[in-house]
Amino acid sequence: MPTITIDGTEYEVPEGRMVLQAIDDLGLLMNGVDIPHYCWHPKLTIDGSCRLCQVEIEGMPKLQIACNTPVANGMKIHTKNDRVLAARQGVMELLLINHPLDCPICDQAGECKLQDYAFQWGVPESRTREPRRPAKKAVDLGPTIVFDQERCILCRRCVRFCREVPKTGELGVFNRGDESLLEVFPGSELDNPYSMNVADICPVGALTTRDFRFKIRVWFLDDVKSVCNQCSRGCNIVASRSNNNVYRFVPRRNDAVNETWMCDHGRMSYKLNAQGRVAAPRIDGREVSFTDAVKRAAELVRATLDAKAKIVGVASPFASNADLAAFRDLLTKLGAGSARFSVPRGEADDVLIEAEKAPNAAGCRALGMTESSDPVGRADLALVLGHTTTAEVFGDVGNIVLVDSHESALSARAAVVLPARTFLEKTGAFTNSRGLVQKFAAVVEPDFEAWSEADTLAQIAAAAGIS
Amino acid sequence: MRPETRAEIESLFERYPQKRGALLPAIYLVQAEKGFVDAESTRELAALFEIAPVEVHEVLSFYNMFYTEPQGRHHVYVCTNLPCSLRGARTLLAGLESHLGVHGGGTTRDGRITIGHEECLGSCGTAPVMRVDGRYHENLDLGAARRIVDELE
Amino acid sequence: MIVEPYVKNYLSEHYGDDAYRTLAGYEAKGGFAGLKKAVALAPEQVTELVKTSGLRGRGGAGFATGLKWSFMPKTSDRTKVIVVNGDESEPGSFKDRLIMERGPFEVLEGLLIGAWAMGAQRSYIYVRGEYAEAIRALESAVAELYKKKLLGKNILGKKGFEHDVVVHSGAGAYICGEETGLLESLEGKKGQPRKKPPFPAQHGAFGLPTTVNNIETFAHVPFILERGVEWFKSRGTEKSPGTTLFGVSGHVERPGLFELPLGTPLREVIGHAGGVRGGRRLKGVMPGGLSMQILPPTELDVPMAEEFLSQKGTHLGTGGVMVMDESVCMVRVATVVSYFFRDESCGQCTQCREGTAWVHKLCQRIEQGRGTEADLRLLTDVPKLMEGQTICAFADAAAWPIQGLLRHFRSDFEAHLSEKKCPFPESFEL
Repeated sequence: MPTITIDGTEYEVPEGRMVLQAIDDLGLLMNGVDIPHYCWHPKLTIDGSCRLCQVEIEGMPKLQIACNTPVANGMKIHTKNDRVLAARQGVMELLLINHPLDCPICDQAGECKLQDYAFQWGVPESRTREPRRPAKKAVDLGPTIVFDQERCILCRRCVRFCREVPKTGELGVFNRGDESLLEVFPGSELDNPYSMNVADICPVGALTTRDFRFKIRVWFLDDVKSVCNQCSRGCNIVASRSNNNVYRFVPRRNDAVNETWMCDHGRMSYKLNAQGRVAAPRIDGREVSFTDAVKRAAELVRATLDAKAKIVGVASPFASNADLAAFRDLLTKLGAGSARFSVPRGEADDVLIEAEKAPNAAGCRALGMTESSDPVGRADLALVLGHTTTAEVFGDVGNIVLVDSHESALSARAAVVLPARTFLEKTGAFTNSRGLVQKFAAVVEPDFEAWSEADTLAQIAAAAGIS
Repeated sequence: MRPETRAEIESLFERYPQKRGALLPAIYLVQAEKGFVDAESTRELAALFEIAPVEVHEVLSFYNMFYTEPQGRHHVYVCTNLPCSLRGARTLLAGLESHLGVHGGGTTRDGRITIGHEECLGSCGTAPVMRVDGRYHENLDLGAARRIVDELE
Repeated sequence: MIVEPYVKNYLSEHYGDDAYRTLAGYEAKGGFAGLKKAVALAPEQVTELVKTSGLRGRGGAGFATGLKWSFMPKTSDRTKVIVVNGDESEPGSFKDRLIMERGPFEVLEGLLIGAWAMGAQRSYIYVRGEYAEAIRALESAVAELYKKKLLGKNILGKKGFEHDVVVHSGAGAYICGEETGLLESLEGKKGQPRKKPPFPAQHGAFGLPTTVNNIETFAHVPFILERGVEWFKSRGTEKSPGTTLFGVSGHVERPGLFELPLGTPLREVIGHAGGVRGGRRLKGVMPGGLSMQILPPTELDVPMAEEFLSQKGTHLGTGGVMVMDESVCMVRVATVVSYFFRDESCGQCTQCREGTAWVHKLCQRIEQGRGTEADLRLLTDVPKLMEGQTICAFADAAAWPIQGLLRHFRSDFEAHLSEKKCPFPESFEL
């Protein structure tokens, strides 16, 4: 492995990498070795046009862009000497002469790389007296993205993204020189299942999401690590919250799972947390207290056990591993055999979206549960988590005790319904389709009483006298 | 695009290791039909070359000699770079525009002539120079330029 | 239309003869003797020969041609490509046009010699779109060569020596004269220069090993092969042998082309063009096209070759000599120059895209009498922000002439500031 020296410190780096890439591989980029950059992105092809990542490399007369210079053993790199700082300042000054003074109304404020780098490496005063170049302001580029053409610094990350990841290639740069403009083909839109990623990678506020527009300043947000639950990929995410509300999901980098991306559907699924919740426990349709509902559920369990009648367990691929393990243990104690579960399926693609539209079918399988959408058959009591196994298959079942977060046809049919916490409201883990166990942490508290499936089942077991 | 144009474009593919090499020649052929490349032609070219329409439009917008808007029947371009300007090209252009009633570049009302300036045409030894429908007219003075332009129908 | 230079030498000797544009006429004047000598040698020997000759590229950069040829991989299972740069767009430069229109076979013979030396199987001659006549002359010459089996398979009866040529038209963009900008354009994209590495010899046209050479560079090659290295080195200078077609334009009596040995003093070149028009005084000369720094009248003795011009803070470029007399306002010149670079910037690199526009706006304001001292300071600073930091040399080419004008004619700029208008009423109109 080649050894290079950066600002006097030696590092061993992987062979065959560009300098910027190698520093990123070491986890040091903007985290110990600060080389600001715009057009380079770890998961896109190299562009080399922003010129911000210029560094001085001993033996090379001109400054070199770190993003396109291959590492060589013995290379000595300087990232913060006067020459490099002057070049950096020059790029920042030139980018700002036409950039509109939109910070007060720009969603990117607070997480804007133009602000950040200008603050750290830019010019202290503006020297230009020239009018700024007018262009399109706040136009809908498609169903998800708002475009401010004046703010664009032409790093072309978005153009490369659309061509390389969803491979829909809607974006281009028209004209040349200082008339260059980011555009879509006249009459067409930016519309693909991954469109909102362009807002993540845009270093400035040129591309922002309509969903987040004007909602909240990012410095009021608190970011909590989690995992998307909309399919078995398990894209790593960050949930941004303020005041016990989730404002958005943003992908979190995981090179083994989702690189730096997530699909629009998953990204927007944060909204589901507040919609259609089972907000109160019910017995036969009547709202009751949690304790009463637990008591009734326990009565049904006790009664079925005493009558030596059939109990069936139906699990959910939306439940966490701990919830599923607790469920299995309870069913064993009840002599109910292994649980069954259903996975909703849909279209998959060759990017991120997988056919299994739930996060933890693998967790169910790992616990010996059986996948089935056949009718449950004759049973006196069904203990059911979630509603992925739909109402019709319970035709021959006597009573259903349902622990679920969201309303469905099944919650209308169940004898007892107990509100469950979603993955955003508890700590846990999902196993993705590749067998990776991924943890998530609680982001918000429900504003009604709800417990995890495991905790609910423990309460029912205790009330039914099952140890 | 006309079938003949399409056929001619397709015959160019074998000249290049990747068919996209034929894109610039193809645009010229399509442009010859209407004098500009409209959105429909752009989409047809995109389909023919298996690229996105936006990529074709990028190319159209980058080069001076491709047009995405309707043009006058004739193109008159006067070089206004340094060697030509030193020999009065800008004064000549202003005079010619005045003669045609077009100012700051553009098309005459009757759609006969689109006039404008161009960058160095590689004819500095015979400046001032103008390019009319692709043909060079060199060693100009305003009188000669007016005569040439008046003969365009 | 110019059919021949006012002063001729070996390259342009027969340009005045229409028959020279036909294969028969070309061969009658000794054409293809060079190629025949080349194919009697081993390919590497031809490259060595061109290296020893000291031939420098004539496209503006002056890179050693033989050395460039030696960068091509010796063996390759991938097709090797030659690209001929006929995108001549440097203001003040009009020599390649003449060579293409009047001596197309010189280029083609040189190209074939290069093909033999480098083992290249195909060539693309990229000609700027505005050069309709040149394109026609080349296409006609290529067609004749195919007919006479000097292109295609088994050229000159040599088994395995095959070569195909495509003449390809540009579409109006100066930046397509930049080597990798040209390659992008050839591939059917915007002519935006590529970052390097990789270099064309490894990854060039369509990803294939490629050598790009200028029209005039190839035109000299047959003469070098035919008449020998010693003959070639006997004219020109030690570091810059041979002749070139100097293009003289602007305020001279007899603007046109002059084939002279490299190293001819600038004074003599201008002298061949009849000196400054109307007996006026010289104010300044741009010796190498619009991209190279202007020289004041005190520097007329400089030999016109790169190694001497670089000592004077400028470059040979394409030998496009633009002469300006005492009537000229250098601020107007700066405005014309900066407009050109603003218009032709491809727009990729921050420094170039934003810098060229800023420089033009500053020049405009100063020229219109609305400039300030701060603007003049900026006109010095902004080109420094642009230099030496971009994907290609365009930003340098945009910065240098402005720096040159400020260095030698600062008083013109200051006069605009103090008088709040252009103090040169006789200057060319803007």
